[in-house]
Amino acid sequence: MNPATATGMSFLALVRQSWHVLATIGPGVVFIVIFLVLPSIMLMTVAFMTNGPYGLPEMPFTLQAFRELAGFGFLGWSPGNLYTLWRSIWQTAIATSLVILIAYPIAYYISTRPAHMQPLLLLIVIVPSWTNQVIRAFAWMNILAPGSAVTNAAYNLGFLSEYMGLFPSTFAVVLGLVYNFLPFMVLPLYASFQNLDHRLIQAARDLYATPVKAFFQAVFPQTLPGLMAGTVLVSIPAFGMYVIPDLLGGGKSSMIGNLVARQFSDASNWPLGGAAAMIMILATLLGLLVLRRVGRRAGGGREVVL
Amino acid sequence: MNAEAARRSPAAAEDDGRKAQGDTQADTGSAREASSISLRALRKTFGRDVVALEQVDLDIRAGEFFTLLGPSGCGKTTLLRIIAGLEQADSGVLEVGGRDILSTPAHRRSVNTVFQSYALFPHLTVRENISFGLRMRRTPPEECHRRVEETASFIKIAELLDRGVEQLSGGQAQRVALARALINEPDVLLLDEPLSALDAGLRTELQLELLRTQKRLGMTFVFVTHDQEEAMVMSDRIAVLNDGRIQQLGSPEEIYERPENLFVARFMGHTNIYPVEPEGGGDRYASPFGTVEISAERTGSHMLLRPESLELLPAGETGTNCFPARVSERFYRGAAVEYRLECGRESVTATLTNRGQTHFRVGDEVTLALDTQSLVFLDP
Amino acid sequence: MKRRINGFQLGLRAFWYLTLAFLYIPLAYVVAFSFNSANSYVRFPELSLRWYERMFGNTALMNAFYNSVTLALTSAVIATLIGAILGYGMYKYRHLKLGWLIWFIYLPIVMPDIVYGISQMTFFVTVHDLTGMLKPGLTTMIIAHVSFQVPFVALLVYSQLVRMDPLLFEATQDLYASPLQRAWFFILPAISASLISSFFLSITLSIDDFVISFFTSGPDSTTLPIFIWSAIKRGVTPEVNAISALMIFAVFSAGLIIYIFQRVRPPKDPTNQ
Repeated sequence: MNPATATGMSFLALVRQSWHVLATIGPGVVFIVIFLVLPSIMLMTVAFMTNGPYGLPEMPFTLQAFRELAGFGFLGWSPGNLYTLWRSIWQTAIATSLVILIAYPIAYYISTRPAHMQPLLLLIVIVPSWTNQVIRAFAWMNILAPGSAVTNAAYNLGFLSEYMGLFPSTFAVVLGLVYNFLPFMVLPLYASFQNLDHRLIQAARDLYATPVKAFFQAVFPQTLPGLMAGTVLVSIPAFGMYVIPDLLGGGKSSMIGNLVARQFSDASNWPLGGAAAMIMILATLLGLLVLRRVGRRAGGGREVVL
Repeated sequence: MNAEAARRSPAAAEDDGRKAQGDTQADTGSAREASSISLRALRKTFGRDVVALEQVDLDIRAGEFFTLLGPSGCGKTTLLRIIAGLEQADSGVLEVGGRDILSTPAHRRSVNTVFQSYALFPHLTVRENISFGLRMRRTPPEECHRRVEETASFIKIAELLDRGVEQLSGGQAQRVALARALINEPDVLLLDEPLSALDAGLRTELQLELLRTQKRLGMTFVFVTHDQEEAMVMSDRIAVLNDGRIQQLGSPEEIYERPENLFVARFMGHTNIYPVEPEGGGDRYASPFGTVEISAERTGSHMLLRPESLELLPAGETGTNCFPARVSERFYRGAAVEYRLECGRESVTATLTNRGQTHFRVGDEVTLALDTQSLVFLDP
Repeated sequence: MKRRINGFQLGLRAFWYLTLAFLYIPLAYVVAFSFNSANSYVRFPELSLRWYERMFGNTALMNAFYNSVTLALTSAVIATLIGAILGYGMYKYRHLKLGWLIWFIYLPIVMPDIVYGISQMTFFVTVHDLTGMLKPGLTTMIIAHVSFQVPFVALLVYSQLVRMDPLLFEATQDLYASPLQRAWFFILPAISASLISSFFLSITLSIDDFVISFFTSGPDSTTLPIFIWSAIKRGVTPEVNAISALMIFAVFSAGLIIYIFQRVRPPKDPTNQ
């Protein structure tokens, strides 16, 4: 089938349009391909290579790195890496759940304020997340350090033993994650509340639903798209966090991001780092798929961009 | 067909207006000639399956108010956009003022469009919107300014010139869109359902304004609408389209009083349409009411009775083309009375002007008298 | 409508203020202790500006500041250019089934920064080994930043274009604008809002970034976040409080400016019908 007749354009016009398409989309796409896709592919290739004596990857290709990731090192099987992976998952899960629990009422609250106040309130919630993540982790380090007011209170309440701080700990890491990602959940939920069809709620009340029932039947389902989008926007980046587990978790609560980074610095095992990075990339792609699916459903079947 | 009528620029027309009021300033406008439009064998498909226009042949006379009328998807907007250059025809010929413009890109055609949603540039003021075309053609600023002032007073929007576009009402926006197009003195002005976004009262007012403007300027207008009443009020001639083909081309009287086929009849709102068959020889036709005698030069598969052409006589009257009927419903509409009659097994609508005569009541037996002059035969 | 103050509303409001406290107290802590005369988080003898003085005298820190600013501005300019053209192309040819492009554009946005940083690092190291070009430094950082800024710019420009009446483009053609005139007189003004906001967004993304900068930086190209990180790791913290407080202040000023901007001038969004 001649593409010209299929689209109704002459051959010359087709050529000219192709050139236009390339000229506009070309630079951006080429840039991303060279400086993002290519490096990612290289990283994934490294995952399949052998670890050389200085930590740099060598041929031949092997699945050794993945075996190491599963714990099968030179000294037999040790669960360390798997623990890290598992810790990443449940720390992310807890943090995401907490974020949802906090963000939901907040988003609802904002959406019930007078319309001219809402942008301001949103701004108030978002601005703290504009500070650098290092500074934010640093702030929590100070608050949770031994001797600070909060730590002393925790000690007095019996949560801690003396001279210990609230960080480094899993608690601190989860706290840091929640602090970091709260706004990312508030925004999509708020958008869902904005687009809430109040007629459905009125219909539920009209049909004798109690407030609780009305919420679960009429309100909650409508916020589901925002909830899912927010969950993806929070959990996927949280899963791959580096700074927060490093600063607030010391070496004990490390997550997969720290594992990856270690292989490229002290532990010197690039293939292992690549293998772990692949896990993270796969998680990202999964999240992207879910986001796209949710976006399509929320947009009524069409491709929704932002 | 190269008939070109002398027509005036807005400036000249404005001068005329002033002269009529006693102002004797000299004529400043340049009189440009209106252009005719010729379409031959125009065809347009979208993708492989959707045929928007099939072999359209059309001649639009210079200086006429021509309407393309039809339901959604009939191809009327596509046809308009081909004339504007916003759509490319697959094949055929398009001539404006005798010149083939099919290969001319849109921004070089001397054709302007008033869009349905007005498409006013939001980041520009009214003045900047109106002068946009002139500025694109590098008109010197003084001339620009003068022409904007003239056109604005001609269309009566002079006080809106420095407003932003968001602050305009529907009617004002429509006038600005019109001014933006007219100021360029195009050969042809295209209007794509410009009034459909307005409410009824404003619509009627603007219909008349548009019509008067066209007459004063003497410019060729091609108007697209799906509203048959609007088409009849404003047009010199109408082309009714369906499925990419012209169903009928003619004056509003011809289209309304003598539709040629079922589609046109139904689209113009006619309801009294009945199947007929020739009976015997000569001038007799079998209809659901009985035998109808009419000497017609043409025949068709259906016959159309216009409600306003029917006469209601008291029951029992006989004669050719008179049939007994019963009043089943009656609607008093002030200036006229509309009767729904049962005649044979059919329902007939008859509208009688209210001249103070006695009206029939529901249930009355009457005689339906057909006026053979107004009876129309339709093709399927 | 009568305002019913019931328990639910009260609880909700209390929750709101608690959350605000949660969000702001850590930052307030840092700012407060930046004025601490003592180098401690436990004692607070008196207010003092000594850490700020130390900060300005610290050449490494000032260097880091200079690098951060250069990096942000350069990358933002390049990214806005490339991204705007990309966004426009995505809009103009959106009927050509380029859905995969949107997927593609999302990739840098969603990808975890550690993977991003590591992969760029290995890439640049390899290229450097093979060709001697692209030594880890400001150049590699600029490239890395541009590659994650471009998608944001493209998406912002694209979504503004998509919200416009498509007939406007045709109206320009109808009114005698050549393609070049169209670009200058119509398209550029129309996307000016998104161009400006994506430029500032790019700057923000760049200044805020730590992980990617860290892994693509060289010995001379320390940025502020990297400086702070190293300081924390080494345990030398007092000036860190000061610079952190300043950065917090900068962020809040930006927020305030945006808010005032939106209030005083009703957003002149040229895409609104």
